[in-house]
Amino acid sequence: MSPAREAAAQPPAPGPPRPPDAPEDAAAPRAATRTRGTAAVLAAALLLLLAAAVLYHQERMLSGSPTAANRALTDGAATDRVAAEVGAALREVFSYRPEDTGRTRAAAADLLDGRAARQYTGLFARVEQEAARQKLTLTTHVVRAGVTRLDGGRARLLVFLDQVAERPGRAASTVPAQLSVTARLEAGRWRITDIAAR
Amino acid sequence: MARTTRNPVLAAALALAALAAAAACWGGWSWYAAAHDDAAAFAHTREEVLAAGRQAVRNLNTLDHRDLRRGLDGWEDSATGDLHDQLADGRAAFEKQIREAGTVTEASVLSAAVTELDERAGKARVLVALRITVTAPEGEPVRKESRMIAALTRTAGGWKLSALGQAPVGGTAAE
Repeated sequence: MSPAREAAAQPPAPGPPRPPDAPEDAAAPRAATRTRGTAAVLAAALLLLLAAAVLYHQERMLSGSPTAANRALTDGAATDRVAAEVGAALREVFSYRPEDTGRTRAAAADLLDGRAARQYTGLFARVEQEAARQKLTLTTHVVRAGVTRLDGGRARLLVFLDQVAERPGRAASTVPAQLSVTARLEAGRWRITDIAAR
Repeated sequence: MARTTRNPVLAAALALAALAAAAACWGGWSWYAAAHDDAAAFAHTREEVLAAGRQAVRNLNTLDHRDLRRGLDGWEDSATGDLHDQLADGRAAFEKQIREAGTVTEASVLSAAVTELDERAGKARVLVALRITVTAPEGEPVRKESRMIAALTRTAGGWKLSALGQAPVGGTAAE
């Protein structure tokens, strides 16, 4: 290989450019060729590493995004299950009869956790008194439930409820309610950890 | 190639290049798999439907009597099919009614969820919890919470509302 041809075939390498017709290092032409070869291989390695990094980053953007991590509807069975379990739990904890509020309290202890449990406990003592005094029966129906987020063992839902209040000698009244509900999967069961009225 | 083995620097560079090539292959494969992941594509469509549903429901619950043309253009632009035709047919009468009432209606979406999505049919259903504020020429603004069920249909211009109604209260509750 003539020095001129070799210079033309040389890939861009770090270091100051030298004129193409610069004389070779006369003392060690072989060593210079080897150095250039190594530089070319290193440059190729660098390019490949860069390509790997870019592809990895693109893959993360696609798979690691909050949108892709959210399995609401993409996992139909899991979505239906969390909607059904959370709906049933809301029906239980927001339904009571004046003579049997203890049953609702026990269900709530089982189905609620975290902030939802703390808020409920604080509220339910008053509800029990009122229910007994007014002989109030409350029945909650789930009108619609939608899962907004399902991510591993956590879920967030939007639930439309109807709450039917009945008192002896009066017409029943129905009140609509819209709730944002957060739930956590614990030991294979969904428990409600937060409830916010919408 | 006997010379290369005698050059430890070049040997190391070649090894590095081989590793880098393997990493690039793996990166390319995982990128390809992610780009052709059906679940990810479905999730993307779900977000698209959710955003379109929120905006369209908000549009159809927003109207300022001082700028009826823009408001009602927004209504028609958010709807398709029968709903669009209904809005277009009733537009003149409705315009007159709002002009006389002189009301400003604003809506904000509190929460929304996609409950059904059929990508193939291009149909979806979205639940929306809304707060609507109506301001009449006299008196305090009136705020009310509203819950709506929206049906969306995919069109050439994106996902649009094909039906919109209040979620029923009482009687029709699904047990």
